[in-house]
Amino acid sequence: MTDTVKSTSPTKPSVNYARQFERVALLLVWALTIVLFSFLIPNNFLNWGNFSIMFASYAPAALLALAIIIPLTAGDYDLSVGATLTLSASTIGVLNVWQQMPIGWVLVIVLLMGLGVGLFHSLFIIYFRVPSLVVTLGSTSLMSGIVQWITNSSTIGGIDNSLIMAAVGYRLFGIPYAFYYALGAALIMWYIFDFMPLGRRLLFVGRGREVARLNGISVNKVRVGALCMSAVLASAAGILYAGVLGSADPYSGLNYLLPAFAAAFLGATTIQPGRFNPWGTIVAVYFLATGITGLSMLGIPLWVTNVFNGGALILAVTISQITRGREASDIG
Amino acid sequence: MTKRVLIASLTAIAATMCMTGSSFADAASEGLARATENIAKYKAKPEFVAPGDPFDAKACAAGKKMLSIPNSSGNPFLKGIIDRMKVAGAEVGLEVREWENQGQPSQWVQGVELATREKYDIIDLISGIDPGTIEPQLKAAKEAGVKVMTSHFYDPSFEQNPVVSSSLTIGFGEVGTILADWAAVATDGKANIALIVSNEVPPTIPLVANFKEQLAKNCPDCTITQEINVGVTEWGTKIQTAVQSAVQANPEINVVIPIYDSMSQFVIPALRLTGKTGEIKVGTFNGTPFVLDYIAQGLADMNIGESLDWIAYATVDGHLRDACGLESPTALNVPFYIFDKDNIAEAGTPAQFDTGYGDAYKSGFRKLWGIE
Repeated sequence: MTDTVKSTSPTKPSVNYARQFERVALLLVWALTIVLFSFLIPNNFLNWGNFSIMFASYAPAALLALAIIIPLTAGDYDLSVGATLTLSASTIGVLNVWQQMPIGWVLVIVLLMGLGVGLFHSLFIIYFRVPSLVVTLGSTSLMSGIVQWITNSSTIGGIDNSLIMAAVGYRLFGIPYAFYYALGAALIMWYIFDFMPLGRRLLFVGRGREVARLNGISVNKVRVGALCMSAVLASAAGILYAGVLGSADPYSGLNYLLPAFAAAFLGATTIQPGRFNPWGTIVAVYFLATGITGLSMLGIPLWVTNVFNGGALILAVTISQITRGREASDIG
Repeated sequence: MTKRVLIASLTAIAATMCMTGSSFADAASEGLARATENIAKYKAKPEFVAPGDPFDAKACAAGKKMLSIPNSSGNPFLKGIIDRMKVAGAEVGLEVREWENQGQPSQWVQGVELATREKYDIIDLISGIDPGTIEPQLKAAKEAGVKVMTSHFYDPSFEQNPVVSSSLTIGFGEVGTILADWAAVATDGKANIALIVSNEVPPTIPLVANFKEQLAKNCPDCTITQEINVGVTEWGTKIQTAVQSAVQANPEINVVIPIYDSMSQFVIPALRLTGKTGEIKVGTFNGTPFVLDYIAQGLADMNIGESLDWIAYATVDGHLRDACGLESPTALNVPFYIFDKDNIAEAGTPAQFDTGYGDAYKSGFRKLWGIE
């Protein structure tokens, strides 16, 4: 009898301290990195001006990394975000500078264009069932060609000053607005991912499409929505990029793709380990940015920053997998 | 006695220090004077200097054709040169065709093979294609009777690949000296420089070497505070943050020199974000229109430009001379011209590739060719 009582009484779930630690591990490493560089560069690293500049200049990269994690959560890859960013920034240059169109209208057109890119991807990925990797790889090349055509392969300077002011001119607590746009996007995404049924559906679709479908989730609609939101956010990142630079060039945005993916995967090792999550992504972007800024301030050759980025990513994801007993996750 | 010796010694030391100090000051002011003089040379309107004797260009060009292969057709600077070469060539009857490519060596190989197959007279490798990259194909072309020439690629200090018949060099080293002298003059001999380079691009080597040499010669108080090497493909992701970090870590930096002006689009936002616009001077090289516009907007200070049209005429002239067995010039001889706030209006609004350099060269070449 006693044995029976013992076996049916509610047992308190054991606390997995390793997992709890994993949630904040990257934050701690970030803090340690800041402390380390503060000692190495005593006068200039740990000051608000330095951090406010870093927060603003990495805002487009942060927005792009946030764009990537939406389709990744739903189980699709969007390799075209860099090209969408470039197309968006270049279109701003062409319409605003060359065609003299008011900047407000240009921004509306650019965001709608992002929606168009998302629908284009959806047509091939959902309707024709072409793998997302293939479609977005193809559209990257397609958009790159279009960008070179519309810009005549030239950089376009002289973008409307109001966009520059809205990105890096106006400041709150010393930090240019660009950072708050990325922060706002993360906040909205966090609410949707964690507190709305849509976020749960997105996760279920990513974890198992067939199971999600059998549970009454409209898998295709969720995937279309994720692809469209990713493209619209990438367009918004292009707007921010044009605002931060004050110009639009037809090539450089493409190079943001790999760092954005690195941040997305690194972000999935923190806050909510094993899951792509917006706050983790923001932490990852600025952790990497802190490393790059510190190394640059020390005057270390820039190839070291590539080693730092790659090393940090592989190490963090591996440690995360070991901590969770190598179980399956969103990552990969 | 001891006291007297001590006083005498101290006086001697003080006198020596004063002399050393004054000779150092003299060296600095002399260097600055030389730098100012050198800069004035490049601020004067470029003059045409004949690259050789007059010749009958129409007779020389009759029936001849040239295939121009740019490093990449996506580069508006190179495309602009070839478009103008077509026009200049047409004046004397030389057929100029562009081999459109996207910067891939396999595409350059196709162009060389086409020129060999279709019996072109000249293959012109423009700005950036190292003949060594596609040497077997160029050898085959040479054996088939096609003359391989380069333009706007080699610095005079470089050794020309044996497969090349003649090269119209450009003085990247000379650009380095102009940039160094400008930095000295712009800061009154007290430049603390952030130098942004791309070491994988061959012209960077003579440019930076001459920059350092000239700086040491004409500006003893100038220093390169930080040299930032960024690969071309990473300009967009690294220059801005590297410049931000450099000026934050080294507040004494008062000049930024991105050696190629397309780097400036990432330098300008870095200075804007750090609140250093106008405070830190920016000098660069290439004369790309949107960077010239930065000078008009007060965001940059100096750009060394070259006229694309002038380059086109000089290339047609030099290559025709070689094709017809005449002595070919060893350099493009296209003068560098400094744009700054004093003359930036001459570049046009918005700035153009060919505006502001004058057009003395056109009639100069036409007279040499016997068509004017």
